[in-house]
Amino acid sequence: MTTDTLSPMRSTMPRWRIGLMALVIASLFAMPLLRDQVDWITNSRLFSFTQMFMLVALASNWNLTGGFTGYVDFGHAVFFGIGAYGTGVLMHNGWEFPPALIAGAIFAAVYALIVGYPTLRLKGPYFSIAMLGTFVAVREIVRVWKGVTGGGVGLTLPPYLNRVAFYYYTLAFALFVVAIMWWIRRSEFGASLIAIREDEIGAEMRGINTTVQKMTAFIVAGFLSGVVGGMWAYQNTFIDPDIVFIESRTIELVMMTMLGGLGTVLGPVLGAATIYWMRDVVWASFLDYHLIVEGLLLILIVLFIPRGIVGMFGDRSGTSLGELWGKWLGKSPPEET
Amino acid sequence: MIENGEALLEGRHVTKRFGGLVAVNNIDFVVRQGEMVGLIGPNGSGKTTLFDCLSRVQPIDEGQVLFKGIDITAKKPHQVAHLGMARTFQVIRVYRKLTVLENLLVSRQWRGESLFGQLTRANVDLEDRARELIEFVALSHLVDSPAGTLSGGQRRLLEIGMALMPDPDLLLLDEAASGVNPTLVETIKDRIRVLNQDHGKTFLLVEHDMRFISDLCSRVYVLNYGERLAEGTPAEVMKSEAVIEAYFGA
Repeated sequence: MTTDTLSPMRSTMPRWRIGLMALVIASLFAMPLLRDQVDWITNSRLFSFTQMFMLVALASNWNLTGGFTGYVDFGHAVFFGIGAYGTGVLMHNGWEFPPALIAGAIFAAVYALIVGYPTLRLKGPYFSIAMLGTFVAVREIVRVWKGVTGGGVGLTLPPYLNRVAFYYYTLAFALFVVAIMWWIRRSEFGASLIAIREDEIGAEMRGINTTVQKMTAFIVAGFLSGVVGGMWAYQNTFIDPDIVFIESRTIELVMMTMLGGLGTVLGPVLGAATIYWMRDVVWASFLDYHLIVEGLLLILIVLFIPRGIVGMFGDRSGTSLGELWGKWLGKSPPEET
Repeated sequence: MIENGEALLEGRHVTKRFGGLVAVNNIDFVVRQGEMVGLIGPNGSGKTTLFDCLSRVQPIDEGQVLFKGIDITAKKPHQVAHLGMARTFQVIRVYRKLTVLENLLVSRQWRGESLFGQLTRANVDLEDRARELIEFVALSHLVDSPAGTLSGGQRRLLEIGMALMPDPDLLLLDEAASGVNPTLVETIKDRIRVLNQDHGKTFLLVEHDMRFISDLCSRVYVLNYGERLAEGTPAEVMKSEAVIEAYFGA
């Protein structure tokens, strides 16, 4: 086993991996330019990629609290929702997209600050359930606050149908988010999050202000997911509580991150891309049953590849849901051998 | 700066209750700079609870704890660590998924640096110090092994290395020799002596093994049922009738 696979905090990436990533990124940037030459690249396909880039960013943000810090958030889609509604309401009232997007993300970050302080004191599944509860509460507030949010009827945003521009916005933002996660993972801040995940009392005893570190990660994740929500709202040109605040959105993020590799930088990227294309291409055949298929897939991942795709390739830097929750459910994770 | 012989850690009337049970009852004690002090007592006598109170893992119900003359009674554990106190645990707390080296790197000094500072410095900056300490605790051959693969004794040594990483003034070691094979116990004792004599570190040791305590400590406190039963040199307390009775019965 090499030092690299075990030590993401101080590893240098192998050259072949840098080359492969550069090739993928260059191909993604070139794709819209080749629309006229390649039949496969259609407007509809560019839209699909746009959706996937947003999911990559969301899953990476979820992974910051869920995978790096060990706080599995079952209500993370609330930040997406607040970002979407913040941006949507402001644009509905005449704001331009860029300031509305930033304001929406700030709303999400402020919400993370307010909700995170009490909920991040809870551990394991208790935190997860509490966050699910706050997600449902915010959805109902949006539904009844008709004067501002439009209630159940929703809001229509000014149309912006330049799919190529949105493709580039979302691609650039997804790359930005992944770069931030990579940077955090190798920084001292990232090391403190891993320490909290592995042993919070030990981390506190060794001088880490665990409350501040957890809150910071939570707020950063909330802000970045708020940006994604704002982008999504503008692209969709319509928002209502039932399409913005969907429980399955968070479940999908959890599933994507677990499939790719919980607590790793590349895991959410691989997981989001894999599940998005599986859903888009294969699950179209099982329209009525796709949620059942999602559930089954989640069970299979937990049982057979708990460390995800990245873990299958020997990267042991990540974690698994069993390890994160085991200590709170009275089960110690098995000894490393 | 605390001079040799001055009080480094002081507890005044420390009391801790769990419901109706008084786990630590009105205990006074002092650990002076440069000393190695032992804390012994039968099972359930309140040693670890007192340790937890001193390091702020547990809040105390009455009394006061001073470290370097500063009242730390209401401080949080990380604030106490910033002042220069480090501890190990009865149930070993290492980061099992991280390598030996990473465990040391993560245990560096965290003293309220800005987020910007934490983000702009990679975690490799302290690698030289971490490697020195790994060599000191005789784990160089395992530097890249995950902590979860180490034996109990090796984990004890790793935990001591982690406690040393922020260069603390006082180390609280909770049963450092427990579950460790005799060869490694000698290594641990040797390392503690070097740290005390050559580096001026002060120690408070909780231990069951009286030989371990008498080999290292100049002074010992004995607890029983949460109360202070005796204090003196190891030879003195081992002759005390009250101590013999507490350990072996009347």
